[in-house]
Amino acid sequence: MTDSQLTRLPATAELTIATPEGVLFRLPLAGPALRLYAVLLDSVIVLGAVNGVGYLVYWIFAKAPGFGLMLITLAEFAIGFLYGAVLEGLWNGQTVGKRLFHLRVIDQSGLPLLIEQAWVRNLMRVFDALPFAYLVGGVSVLSSRLMQRFGDRVAGTLVVRETPLGAPAQEAWTRQKYNSFMNYPVLAMRLRRAATPELASLIQDALRRRNELAPYARREIYRELAGYLQTEIAPFPDDLVEMLSDEQYLTNAAGVLFGDQHLSRPHR
Amino acid sequence: MILDLERFQAQARPRWSKLEALLAALEARPDRRLNPSEAEQLQELYAQTAADLNRVTHGALAPELRQYLERLVARAYAELYYAPPTRSEVWQPRRWLRIFTAFPEAFRRQSRYFVLAVLITVLGCALGGLAVRYDPASVDVLLPADYLRNPGQRVHTEEKGQSRHMDSAQVEAMFSAELIRHNIQVALLAAALGVTFGIGTALLLFENGVLLGAVAVRYTQQGFGVFAAAWLLPHGVFEIPSILIAGQAGFYLARLLLRRREERNTRQSVSEWLVLVAGLAMMLVWAGIMEAFFSQKHAPVLPYGFKVTVGVAELVLLTIYLLLIGRRDVGAEVRARISSEKK
Repeated sequence: MTDSQLTRLPATAELTIATPEGVLFRLPLAGPALRLYAVLLDSVIVLGAVNGVGYLVYWIFAKAPGFGLMLITLAEFAIGFLYGAVLEGLWNGQTVGKRLFHLRVIDQSGLPLLIEQAWVRNLMRVFDALPFAYLVGGVSVLSSRLMQRFGDRVAGTLVVRETPLGAPAQEAWTRQKYNSFMNYPVLAMRLRRAATPELASLIQDALRRRNELAPYARREIYRELAGYLQTEIAPFPDDLVEMLSDEQYLTNAAGVLFGDQHLSRPHR
Repeated sequence: MILDLERFQAQARPRWSKLEALLAALEARPDRRLNPSEAEQLQELYAQTAADLNRVTHGALAPELRQYLERLVARAYAELYYAPPTRSEVWQPRRWLRIFTAFPEAFRRQSRYFVLAVLITVLGCALGGLAVRYDPASVDVLLPADYLRNPGQRVHTEEKGQSRHMDSAQVEAMFSAELIRHNIQVALLAAALGVTFGIGTALLLFENGVLLGAVAVRYTQQGFGVFAAAWLLPHGVFEIPSILIAGQAGFYLARLLLRRREERNTRQSVSEWLVLVAGLAMMLVWAGIMEAFFSQKHAPVLPYGFKVTVGVAELVLLTIYLLLIGRRDVGAEVRARISSEKK
């Protein structure tokens, strides 16, 4: 069982929030790679905007290139800071890049960030971007428990991942029309009573990750699990088990564990 | 032993979808204000969903379901506990004009960090000045640019107006933009370097001071003191204080970060830093304009006495602004209000 405990450890950093009502929830934090992609995309947009403004100004100030250059220099500088600060302030912590990569800047307390915080964390980029390619900021993110760059530490913000999630779909074993284990209510009941939550979730995970496992590994894991259930927990009759593949055996077991409660259904 | 997940989901799904729909409607609304019945509904759905999350968490059975519920609870929590400023509040001109009074107020509140910045700069100045005065060999190191080392030639070309090629107003415009950008960048860096516990800020201020002291002594030594004053004062009286204020913001930030996490009210204290930075940026815009359009015009065009007078007048105005504009003592006013309410 220790192996299954290990795989259940969070693979990524997360922020745990305790609300005043005593509810705990976790927010997955965004890693440096994803954030760098978002920054790159945003930089492309800013560069495009600056060049667009540049052409416009160049065209308007064709007779007085000096004033045009002055405007371009200032606009370039201002857009660099305004882009992040204004968008994050108005769009609840998102820029175009962050939106596309499902990232959002929030306050450390789990609440939306304030406009002031958006400004501070974007002005702090002059430091985080040092000496090139956000090296300082990247090191800061990697060394921080909350994955904060210096701008985030100062502003009290952090970046979370927000993959759009629907309610989970129905699992395969609940769609089963017929579960042969249900013909043996006593054994099914024993399985249900004797299986620990860890064992149940192990079976569930094994089935769910079917397509992530290499065929050989899948065969081995399913064989071992089914063997364990059969010998240690609930010995279903041999003539039934012989007809079932290990996968089908586990699917049936999951159906018993997680599915419909009506074990006492009459035989059909 | 095991929560019947299917039945549980089937029972709870309607309220989750309801909460999802309510949240989507709220998040799409620009001012995100709730009416009383919505608030009640949100509160209720939030409590129910939070309880559902608790059940799933204890069972540790369905990671996807748990993630889904966590997201839902997080969104509802944010909506319940946070009222964003409405659009009209964000765009109110009064809110933005407040910066002109908030800046001197913040400056006075944090004046001890300003004093620290001044002390470090003065130390740098003294060192730079003394080095140039007593160790001529140090000139090459401290003043790498030729025009700084040999003021005579520079003054000559400047006064003859030989450094101009294009239509001068346009060159000046370009020059001013460059100056504004460069100066704000440096000042912002000084303010941001507060995160290095103020060490970076101190080094930057010190280096700036050394250069300043060295230039001043070099020009005075060679008898161009008046030229240098007229050249530097009109923009320097804004530029140098704004770098000092950047140092002030940097030290303020360092002090803030050294405090323990629980003791700081991040949102409030961070706006103080922001106000200081915004104020110094405005000062640097003015300094950039003056440096490009005014400071670079020399004796035959503009008499030195006039330029120095303008510089001194600017300094007086800036001092008055920083020391007198805005509320004098916020604490005293609050105390007065409390005592008058008691009567």
